[in-house]
Amino acid sequence: MKYVVIVMPKKAILDPQGKAIKQVAEDYLNKSIKDIRVGKYFEIELDREDDELVEKLAKNILSNEVIEDYLVKKV
Amino acid sequence: MRVGIVQFLGTNCDYDCKYACDCLGFESEFIWYSQADVEGFDVIILPGGFSYGDYLRSGALAKFSPVMKAVADFSKKGGKVIGICNGFQILIEVGLLKGALLKNKNLRFIHKDVYLKVEKSRCRFTKGLEGEVLRMPIAHGEGNYFCSDDYLKYLQDNEMIVLRYSNESGDVKDECNPNGSVYNIAGICNESGNVFGLMPHPERAVGDLGKDGEKIFERFL
Repeated sequence: MKYVVIVMPKKAILDPQGKAIKQVAEDYLNKSIKDIRVGKYFEIELDREDDELVEKLAKNILSNEVIEDYLVKKV
Repeated sequence: MRVGIVQFLGTNCDYDCKYACDCLGFESEFIWYSQADVEGFDVIILPGGFSYGDYLRSGALAKFSPVMKAVADFSKKGGKVIGICNGFQILIEVGLLKGALLKNKNLRFIHKDVYLKVEKSRCRFTKGLEGEVLRMPIAHGEGNYFCSDDYLKYLQDNEMIVLRYSNESGDVKDECNPNGSVYNIAGICNESGNVFGLMPHPERAVGDLGKDGEKIFERFL
């Protein structure tokens, strides 16, 4: 069973990496971009289905709840 | 007086901390991260560096090492713990201090001397220094302290803000904030005042390197 966890900075958190990329991209393309945000993508493989384990992993290790939100997907 | 200096894979300010302890005449010893007890120490230092290569997030993997469980127990019994730079990040990840440390606002690694206003706080590492301005170096890429507005108020109401970035005269101004930290915060402590986390490096302002760091180390006693 394969899971994907995506961790993103919370909306209210300043994302300077995203801002820097957006700035360069706009200059390069000469077009305006509404927003770019940078997150993290994790692929987790288990030999069984275990939503609870992945949820725990995403909540306690892969993300920091003060500044990040996460999304778990089964693939 | 025995000081324990924790070494993780990737710690690089351990010997600087030992040098500072030597300057002040303290007995000190390294504690390897896989060690599960910290018995017999009076103060524990979590030094700076890049524990576990800062993979995932600064301090995020170090929080699961056996020594951190021992350090948490030690602090709950009232033991003094100081986390410097990466040590601050680890204290935050492990939950002994709250908030988060984000990338510096300008996205750059910053290495320079800064001035710090010592706030009136319950921190046991700065007793008697309130109102003083200290000078010491910072060297970090992720020192931008962040917390919610509610938690900032909690820190203020409970005198848990210990150091703020200021100018030489102790005026806390936006232009003195090197990394974008909320409320110019450079260091905070816990409710009991025995756990202290800070981004600046007091161990690099001792002996021939300066005197202001010694003021923090002197309060280990």
